[in-house]
Amino acid sequence: MAKVILEDIGVPVEKLLSQSEYDKNLQAMRKLEKTIVERREEVAAGWGPKYVERVHKKGKLTTWERIDLLKDPGTKVFPVGTFVNYGIEFGDPPRTSPGAGVVTAFVKVCGKHTVVIANDNTVASGSWWPQTPEKIIRAQEIALRLKVPVIYLIDCSGLNLPEQANTFPGKYGAGKIFKMNSLLSAEQVPQVAGVFGDCIAGGGYMPIISDKVVMTENAYMVIAGAALVKGGKSQTITSLDIGGPDIHVHLSNCADMRAPDDPTALEMIRREIEALPTSAIEYYRFNLSPVEPRFGTSEIAGLMPVDYRMAYDMRQIISRMIDASLFWELLPNVGQEMIIGVGRVSGLYTGFIANNQFLTEHPEDPHKSRPGSLLYQQGIAKISAFSRACNADGIPIVWLQDISGFDIGTEAEKHGLLGYGSDLLYTNSTNTTPMITILLRKASGAGYYAMSGHPYDPVLQLSTPITRLAVMEGRTLAIGTYRTKLDHNFNIITDEPEERAKVEGGMAAVEARITEDMDPFRSARQRDTDEIVLMGELRDYLKTIVEMSYQSIGYRRVKTPRIWSLHDMAAMFRRI
Amino acid sequence: MFQRVLIANRGEVAARIIKAANKLGVETVAVYSAADDESPHLEDADVRVQIGGAQSKDSYLNIRAILQAALQYDCQAVHPGWGFLAENALFARLCEQQKTTFIGPPAGVIALMGDKARAKETMKAAGLPLIPGSDGVVAGVDQAREVGDRIGYPILLKARSGGGGKGMRVCRDEEHLPEMYEEASIEAEKGFGDRGLYIEKFLEKGRHIEFQVLADRFGNAVHLGERECSVQRNHQKLIEEAPSPALPDQLRQQMGEKVARAAAHAGYVNAGTVEFLMDDEGNLYFMEMNTRLQVEHPVTEEITGIDIMEHQFRIAANQPLALQQENIVFKGHAIECRVNAENPFEDFKGSPGKITRFDPPAASDEKIRVDTHIREGATIPPFYDSMICKLIAHGKDRETAIDLQLAALKDFTIEGVNTTIPAHLALLDSKEFRSGKYDTGTVPRVLSALHEEGKD
Repeated sequence: MAKVILEDIGVPVEKLLSQSEYDKNLQAMRKLEKTIVERREEVAAGWGPKYVERVHKKGKLTTWERIDLLKDPGTKVFPVGTFVNYGIEFGDPPRTSPGAGVVTAFVKVCGKHTVVIANDNTVASGSWWPQTPEKIIRAQEIALRLKVPVIYLIDCSGLNLPEQANTFPGKYGAGKIFKMNSLLSAEQVPQVAGVFGDCIAGGGYMPIISDKVVMTENAYMVIAGAALVKGGKSQTITSLDIGGPDIHVHLSNCADMRAPDDPTALEMIRREIEALPTSAIEYYRFNLSPVEPRFGTSEIAGLMPVDYRMAYDMRQIISRMIDASLFWELLPNVGQEMIIGVGRVSGLYTGFIANNQFLTEHPEDPHKSRPGSLLYQQGIAKISAFSRACNADGIPIVWLQDISGFDIGTEAEKHGLLGYGSDLLYTNSTNTTPMITILLRKASGAGYYAMSGHPYDPVLQLSTPITRLAVMEGRTLAIGTYRTKLDHNFNIITDEPEERAKVEGGMAAVEARITEDMDPFRSARQRDTDEIVLMGELRDYLKTIVEMSYQSIGYRRVKTPRIWSLHDMAAMFRRI
Repeated sequence: MFQRVLIANRGEVAARIIKAANKLGVETVAVYSAADDESPHLEDADVRVQIGGAQSKDSYLNIRAILQAALQYDCQAVHPGWGFLAENALFARLCEQQKTTFIGPPAGVIALMGDKARAKETMKAAGLPLIPGSDGVVAGVDQAREVGDRIGYPILLKARSGGGGKGMRVCRDEEHLPEMYEEASIEAEKGFGDRGLYIEKFLEKGRHIEFQVLADRFGNAVHLGERECSVQRNHQKLIEEAPSPALPDQLRQQMGEKVARAAAHAGYVNAGTVEFLMDDEGNLYFMEMNTRLQVEHPVTEEITGIDIMEHQFRIAANQPLALQQENIVFKGHAIECRVNAENPFEDFKGSPGKITRFDPPAASDEKIRVDTHIREGATIPPFYDSMICKLIAHGKDRETAIDLQLAALKDFTIEGVNTTIPAHLALLDSKEFRSGKYDTGTVPRVLSALHEEGKD
């Protein structure tokens, strides 16, 4: 019976924990969320009102105003890479580069998801800082993977030259953006560019490969701007005269259309997107309408314990991300430390792989139980098989990580976890179905890798306010570092007060440093994660990326649920 | 806005385009034929380029030469004016291809409206009433007879690809139908390479009413009211006025809105004119859409205060329409007379030659407008139309406008060539015209009277 039957897994909050506990969790989370929201606003403000005014004075809109006109009215924009370069200062006098001077976001235009790459013209005239190319390339990569149209809103004065050594030459230097332009074009991913102002040197190459280029009357594209032409050729001429729409739309054909102003250019871009084939999202819902979960996604914030060592019911987190809280859990009785199954996100089938946090049965010894959030032999085998099956069936996979790592010790080695783990890495490395990784809380060591962490190319990796991404926890590293000074219970051996104080101080310092490094802002700043999102936003981000995974047809396998290989898996184990 | 525009036209038309371009800070490239190398307007252009011989086909209809000039002189756009290539879909298409913006509608719409039968189908679908007649081209004389029986005689046979009165016959009874059908289709074949004829009811005393529309590429369209062009001689307009004395305000508003909607619906972009025939009972029937600016656009400009050609440039540069229908108001009355180098006493025979004296009435703000390229000593070459000047009078009402125009015409001295001024004076002062109850039959009536007087 190849039917897909989903069961209601939702349990109301009051049956899970006391009101006071829930409130306490919520309060702790709100504090973290507040910081995130404040910092987002700080980044979105660019270099502040003075620069906004400067943009307006030139008869231009700011980047965020442009995005606002571009998007479908009433829809939400989903930025990625907001905190790249956050808190880093460059140059003398030192200056920050909010968002690395570029906005990359998922934006709905004419009912279709698009990836928007927009230079922030309120930050150093949209110039490219260290990590700006990498941030742009990442957005292009997501679009390339999912074959989602890319819209470039260009207003860029070129490389930030004092920092050129960090942006120009490398494998992921600015030039890679143009390689990505080419690959997107070669893969027939629609690219539409609007040029709204400066578009100099490298910036000049970015729009040209796009299928359609709109230029406003304020825009110019040049290999070298007026200053360089003056230096090199002793000609005094404005950049607009060198490469404005009069030249590029009509004479050189480096652009297609001219627009009198920003709003008209954005309308023209919208019309280009409108002319693209319609999205396949509705088709792949298989006649099922999207529904919200039975319990609000916002409740996740109250379900996550304040203490990161405490367990919680992972199934209840899943139930608050999926349509109607309906879930088909496969193989619930084997490898119980892992949860696998299928739910719908916006009516679209999505596979989930998550760590069970609770104590579970030992498969060989009915009298023993084992801690959750670890990878054991059967759990690895189970998620590996599920990952392969989803890939075979074309179901996008959401990896919900709250993982401390692989089990260690004699049993782990005897069970060949190195081998099973490598099998899992191989599976995930060669999967072609889109994978989305959510670092819900702990993302430790090889567990982070095994569950499709960033190096395994998920189409999107999200962190939460409580994500702890590291090889190991600070406390663990402190014990490791000072292991010769500790007994079996990790107590300091020496009674010498001075020596004790030294060890205590040293261990505290190691722990503090690691804890600081695990701050999600650290990984977001250096692009080790795509975005930090609030718990209550997880489902919206998921809906967007899952819809994006189903929007285009013809580029990846999507099977009718009738012939999923998942049914084989379920059928075989039903007999056991 | 474009940096530089090429003017694919000559004479008065070119002068009008230069004026609009100057207003917008756009440089102009004027092309000219061997016969026009002393045309006064060339002095006002930024660049002048000779593109070929005196015959229109070698110069103003020489698509390749004009396109080449646009490329060579770095033009962003080309303005075709009216006449010559203004309604040539191929020219528009070739411009599009080389990315010289054609200041006018898209090539596809030019082609659509150029096919009279398809134009009617389109506008009918868009809600405009059609004159009773055949449903497109008739298959043969038998079908023509069926249509005649249905709508009643007299009927008009018209060439599908026609214009300027060619391939057109008025048939008053069934008896003459086979003969006239044959004549018209042969003439159509000769003139346009297309024998296709369609039939419509002939309105004996129809009035020619046309609505001006402006549409942008974003689906916005407005109408600028109507003009009446019933003072015609062999389908050539002599005098035009706005508003029409025959159209009640309510009908203007109602029809105007319909026209604007229909134009947008048909994918029309830029300035265009929707022509109607009005019968005795005040019914308006869609005739055709002219996909260009009209010669007589100044009367509309005068009563609306809107520079239509400026909007043509703006729309072509992809600017959204800056006009809102509710803000367009009609003020007073305007009358235009086409002053041509023709002899009205010899059946308007062309009278080319050197203009030895040119002393137009003084232009006065919002009262008298003189649209011309002519200066004293200029020549009207024999190869093209013989337009010397357009004289436009704007008064607070029709009576005032007529009086202003009469005074201006009397004050106009042109020597060296014959002009149509005497005809204008007679027409304007005729009881029929003054009463406002004129039609397309007025000119022959008034002018034959003038003739008789001349003989006396």
